[in-house]
Amino acid sequence: MFERDDDVLERVVERLRAPIEMDPTLDARVMVRVARTSRGLDWLARGWEWLRRPRDLAITPLAAAGAVAVLAGLAVWLGSRAAAPATRPGTDTTVVQFILVAPSAASVSVVGDFNDWDATTTPMRPVRSGGIWSVTIPLPAGRHRYAFLVDGSRWLADPSAPRAPDDFGTPSSIVTVGG
Amino acid sequence: MRPWHWLIVLWLSAALSPRAVAAQDPRLQRRLDSATVAALDAVIDSARAVGLPAEPLVQRALEGAAKRAAPARIVAAVRLLADELGIARTALGPASAPAELVAAASALRAGVRPTDLTRLRRRRGVGLTVSLAAVTDLVTSGVPPDSAAAAVLALAALARDDQIVDFRRAVERDIALGAPPAAAAAIRVNAALRDVTPGPSRRP
Repeated sequence: MFERDDDVLERVVERLRAPIEMDPTLDARVMVRVARTSRGLDWLARGWEWLRRPRDLAITPLAAAGAVAVLAGLAVWLGSRAAAPATRPGTDTTVVQFILVAPSAASVSVVGDFNDWDATTTPMRPVRSGGIWSVTIPLPAGRHRYAFLVDGSRWLADPSAPRAPDDFGTPSSIVTVGG
Repeated sequence: MRPWHWLIVLWLSAALSPRAVAAQDPRLQRRLDSATVAALDAVIDSARAVGLPAEPLVQRALEGAAKRAAPARIVAAVRLLADELGIARTALGPASAPAELVAAASALRAGVRPTDLTRLRRRRGVGLTVSLAAVTDLVTSGVPPDSAAAAVLALAALARDDQIVDFRRAVERDIALGAPPAAAAAIRVNAALRDVTPGPSRRP
């Protein structure tokens, strides 16, 4: 069984026309909230006015010198940061394997501009019998100078890489990483 | 004068002293004597003041320190590199990347002319490091500087970096097998040009 459309419509209209009972405290609560917002705006406006108001500032020469010193120190600090290498380890690098055959060596390390020419940073390891030494390291793009340091005192160029111009009387090699 | 005023004066004098403004590199201070560091700082600061990268200069000094070179020799090597970086920057343009300048400085040391560096920049645009390294390595292998520069210039507009590296390796292989360096470069550059040149006559 279905009701007639008119009956349904009449009941809906009756429901919609019924008076709605409002919370008697609503007006008061709204006004309290409006007052709060107004106070917030007042604070902002006063702050803005304080910032814009011109005033005379008394400062001793010594305090001014201190401020200049702080700025100079900041400039020096930023300058020293800018002088650091731009390429960070782990970004835009290519893994390069270095190999040297040195049967009589007790220790071999690869030393170059990728490890600040520090002989202790990148030691090579013997990979098999026959005196083959190897190490794999990530390098940033660019043209890098390096050499092998055998037994802590003997510098050797990489026989499988182009030679670098010699500035210090010992051989160096070149590896180029694309970029 | 109050006590904290004296502190400010002391800090001010320390912060503005010439040594502090020079921003000495601690890596150099750890491995070289103070007189050598001061001489190097003068060179490095001058380079930095004209916009040249300082890091390659620091690395050259560290190389000298690692190899126990005499201080005068280290300073001379760093000064020479600074001069070469300056010439390289003039040839390649002020927007050149540090890696490009280092590669160009090596090319200059090998005997490549600054005008060839400028032509390479014009022909290839940005990302010159591998091309410059190829020129230098070819010269190191025995190819005359003009021939090496001409070969890489011929490839510069069309070849990728890996194709230029392949070309350089092929020339070095031929030279190792006994080919005259200039002839090896000329033959290999023609072959490489056939590989990289697009055209209807090429077969897949």
